[in-house]
Amino acid sequence: MLKKIECIIQPFKLEDVKEALRKIAVDGMTVTEVKGCGKQRGYTQKYSPEAPIRLLPKVKMEIVTDEEKVEEIVQTIQSLARTNQIGAGKIFIIPVEDVMRVRTKERGRIAID
Amino acid sequence: MTEEKKNTNAWQVALQQLDEIAKRINLEPWIHKKLRRPKRELTVSIPIKMDDGSVEVFTGYRVQHNITLGPAKGGIRYSPDVTLDEIRALAMLMTWKCAVAGIPYGGAKGGVICDPEKLSLGELERLTRRYTSEIIIMIGPEKDIPAPDINTNSQIMAWIMDTYSINKGYSVPGVVTGKPVVIGGSEGRQEATGRGVTFITLNTLKYLNQGIEDRKVVIQGFGKVGSVTAKLLHLEGAKIIGIGEIYGAIYNPKGLNPLEVDKYRRETGSILGYKDSEDITNKELLELNCDILIPAATEGQITEKNAPNIKARVLIEAANGPTTPSADKILESKGIFVVPDILTNAGGVIVSYFEWVQGIQGYFWSEREVNLKLRDIMDRAFHHVLELSLKEKVSMRTAALMLAVSRVAEATKIRGLYP
Repeated sequence: MLKKIECIIQPFKLEDVKEALRKIAVDGMTVTEVKGCGKQRGYTQKYSPEAPIRLLPKVKMEIVTDEEKVEEIVQTIQSLARTNQIGAGKIFIIPVEDVMRVRTKERGRIAID
Repeated sequence: MTEEKKNTNAWQVALQQLDEIAKRINLEPWIHKKLRRPKRELTVSIPIKMDDGSVEVFTGYRVQHNITLGPAKGGIRYSPDVTLDEIRALAMLMTWKCAVAGIPYGGAKGGVICDPEKLSLGELERLTRRYTSEIIIMIGPEKDIPAPDINTNSQIMAWIMDTYSINKGYSVPGVVTGKPVVIGGSEGRQEATGRGVTFITLNTLKYLNQGIEDRKVVIQGFGKVGSVTAKLLHLEGAKIIGIGEIYGAIYNPKGLNPLEVDKYRRETGSILGYKDSEDITNKELLELNCDILIPAATEGQITEKNAPNIKARVLIEAANGPTTPSADKILESKGIFVVPDILTNAGGVIVSYFEWVQGIQGYFWSEREVNLKLRDIMDRAFHHVLELSLKEKVSMRTAALMLAVSRVAEATKIRGLYP
């Protein structure tokens, strides 16, 4: 089964994560600059329940991989994206039904190999 | 028994193969001993009232080789050539095939010595129902699940399901697979083996760093497996330059359209004489200049006689046992990449597994879902065999058997010996 690993991390962690993934033979990824917030609604200092939501800049990274590699990739991302502070991010693992490589029409696992 | 006779005995060949693998993987002697013997064998007499009022007594077999990983699974064949040794060998082969695919089954096989061409439809039905009754003590959804094989089809599976169900007093779709969809068959079962062969071909090309586009493919056999494989590979962009059937073969270096060939065959009863093609012999077919050769007909087609002349770089064994052991050695020395039958044609038993699962759950999947799950299992099985073959520096055939025997051995060891 193929899975998509979608993670939201701090922008300044992108380089480290990217290079670590290359070392464990992850070659394909899509990275987007995004804005978002979590439980704190964008406030990192003091708790202000009435204030409007603030969206902070983050990076979203998407990787499609075979199920057998998911744990290794997730552990790698976690260990390098951690900041010991709130706002370090989230990692989502999502089932992928099918994939097609546009150039060759290959489907499934061989489309991402 | 003379040396030659001993070599052609399918059971002796299967045992020899097991012995070689046992040595390679350092199989524990007690497990090796156990695997050399089928778990259960049943020989039955099947008395049938013929249409002319006389009574004929046929002989049938059901052999369960191993049930360590789950219920036994394997086809039933009707043929005048059926022997107990052949059924034993095929039952063992099923144990390995299910183990390579990673599905929770053991191996079995059944057969009736008869010539179905000489039987009327009524006689065939009575034969099937009586044979089912005779082996009913052995079969069942949690015990042993038969399937179609040579000369048996979805109608015969329906009769087996009905006979078993009548005996139980309720419908039991999970007792047999390869049934018509209307009584609990699976979508995509008919095309499953051919579709699996296609997945294996695509995986092989991927590993060899070649695209499928315009790859020259020759397929021997245009039946349930060959015709589906030909159509699917054609749709993927391959160039099908040669197709063979029992009466001969056709060839066009620019590529044939298998969909049109199939239409032509349905109109005329043979593929020979198809427009834009040249009629050739099956011998010439196998020796054509091509990239991929797919034997999808019967066993023993590639022998030490024609193996030296084979020009394909890749051989995908869609049929059961199309390559003789001596031919196999020649192909290996020529550097031809051979994907073995137990891996290549596992698509059929995998979708049989899906059919059984769906029957037990009473919840049926769409064809798309079946095909996606089939691809998932086939891709994974291919990669496991390939990894082992690269790691141990052995052929794909040896790797597939090593993987299968070690999986069964591991389960045997962990279950332990009773009492």
